[in-house]
Amino acid sequence: MLSVRNVTKSFGDVLALEDISFDIDEGEFIFLSGPSGAGKTTLIRLILRDLLPDKGEILLGDRDITKLSERDIPSLRKQIGVVFQDFKVLPERTLRENIEVALAVVGIPEEEWQSRVDHMLKLTGLSNRAEFFPSQLSGGELQRVSLARALSVNPKIILADEPTGNLDWETSDSLIDLFKAINKEGKTILMATHHKLIIEKLGNRVIELKEGKMVGDKGRKSGIKKGQGNQKKAKVVKSDKNPKS
Amino acid sequence: MSSIHLKSAWTHIRRSPFQALAASAVLTVTFFVVTIISVLVYSSSVTLKYFETRPQVIAFLKDDAKAEDISNLENKLENDSRIEGVSYISKEEALNIYKGATSDNPLLSELVSPSIFPASLEFTLSDLTHAEDVITELEADSVVDQVGFTATIGFGKESIRSVLDRLRTITLYIRIGGGAFAVLLVGTSLLVLLIIISLRITTRREEVEILDLIGATPGFIRSPIIIEALLYVFTGVLIGWVIALIMVLYATPSVISYFGEIPVLPKDTLSLFYIFGIILLSELILGFFLATFGSMVAVSRARRRK
Repeated sequence: MLSVRNVTKSFGDVLALEDISFDIDEGEFIFLSGPSGAGKTTLIRLILRDLLPDKGEILLGDRDITKLSERDIPSLRKQIGVVFQDFKVLPERTLRENIEVALAVVGIPEEEWQSRVDHMLKLTGLSNRAEFFPSQLSGGELQRVSLARALSVNPKIILADEPTGNLDWETSDSLIDLFKAINKEGKTILMATHHKLIIEKLGNRVIELKEGKMVGDKGRKSGIKKGQGNQKKAKVVKSDKNPKS
Repeated sequence: MSSIHLKSAWTHIRRSPFQALAASAVLTVTFFVVTIISVLVYSSSVTLKYFETRPQVIAFLKDDAKAEDISNLENKLENDSRIEGVSYISKEEALNIYKGATSDNPLLSELVSPSIFPASLEFTLSDLTHAEDVITELEADSVVDQVGFTATIGFGKESIRSVLDRLRTITLYIRIGGGAFAVLLVGTSLLVLLIIISLRITTRREEVEILDLIGATPGFIRSPIIIEALLYVFTGVLIGWVIALIMVLYATPSVISYFGEIPVLPKDTLSLFYIFGIILLSELILGFFLATFGSMVAVSRARRRK
């Protein structure tokens, strides 16, 4: 469903990504790993069309998103759910309103908002925080809001850029469990993280980046079915350690 | 329009009440002045039209003019399509008019006799453009001593030509001066609106960025900003218009009594409200464009800076 082909991106003299290529099948849960500055966020921003590559193409379905006009970018982004390290929730809106805004952006009729929001809040365990403002929530809760917002619009793929970057291990663990559950429902997830324990815990496919180059694609297996990425990949990387042990 | 945009706009207004107040106050002053200028333009135009279409001409007759010649001239004028309402004023009637005009000073009345007042033929022209020809023709007539234009405005008597010249000048000044002043005020309001919207966008930069990343179209991002600008403008229009209406309603009886039969303002309230309705509608349309244009410029500037 997502193909990144020979993508190169530089910022001035700094080469952020060099000749990156990989494919993601529907239903996969893939980690994008590497140290800070490896190019993970740049790659996510390229997929989100927040940046344009210098070379290469990125196909979402059969659409090359690098060739989209400015006008078509919103329609691309409506198909992508994004979870950011710094949450990026609207500070002046309640949790419920944050999700409602996302629904309004994709054009869901107002009559459906309440049921959709309630469902998302229940899924992310935030039902009792619906009328809270972001300033009243913890980091873990804010990240759940971000995830609930991303999920609410039923995206084709979820991009998560270091979603656990600002969270403690326990909160990160429960958030990852949530991502896992969502993947089981059939959602494709591409998560950038440098958190080795999380990668090891799930044992999913890992695309490794280092200094802008792709240095590995562990656990790649074709024929992934909807919602089965997690279990199948766990077998592929069975030699990996259990993060909690 | 989605209620979410209305709610956003209202939240932004509530959170920065002084900015909202400043914008509305400037727009109120602008639209108050625009309303007053519109009324002045209307009044000067109708006054000018009144004098242009109702010029009064007096043909003073020679003392030795025969009654038959005067009657012939009167008939000739009555049959002229350019001329309306011909009436003969005898020397005695002229004296009576004079006495009426100087009734507060009997000494002036006692010093004169009918013989010093010439008899005259008074009439109005259907249009001022005929004045030149009619006067030339009358001056050539053997019974006519001299021809004059007269009109009374408020007090005193003066030549209608000078009155019309003065009215045209005043009307021109009101139109050009008032128009320039209105444009200046509208321009200032647009700038104030731009500054306030830009401030809003700056404080909402994070929100705009998030909305952009989750797929909001420029229209979606702009909507609450446009609604907010529209609320300022419509508040300004309504308050400015209401204040101007109250002032005009208050002044109308005095103005009407001062100008007498000159229709500076409509004498019936319904017509006055009709004029004010047209002004309000025009201002709402102007305000709509002002708000839409202002917010679109501010948003596109903010997006260019991104």
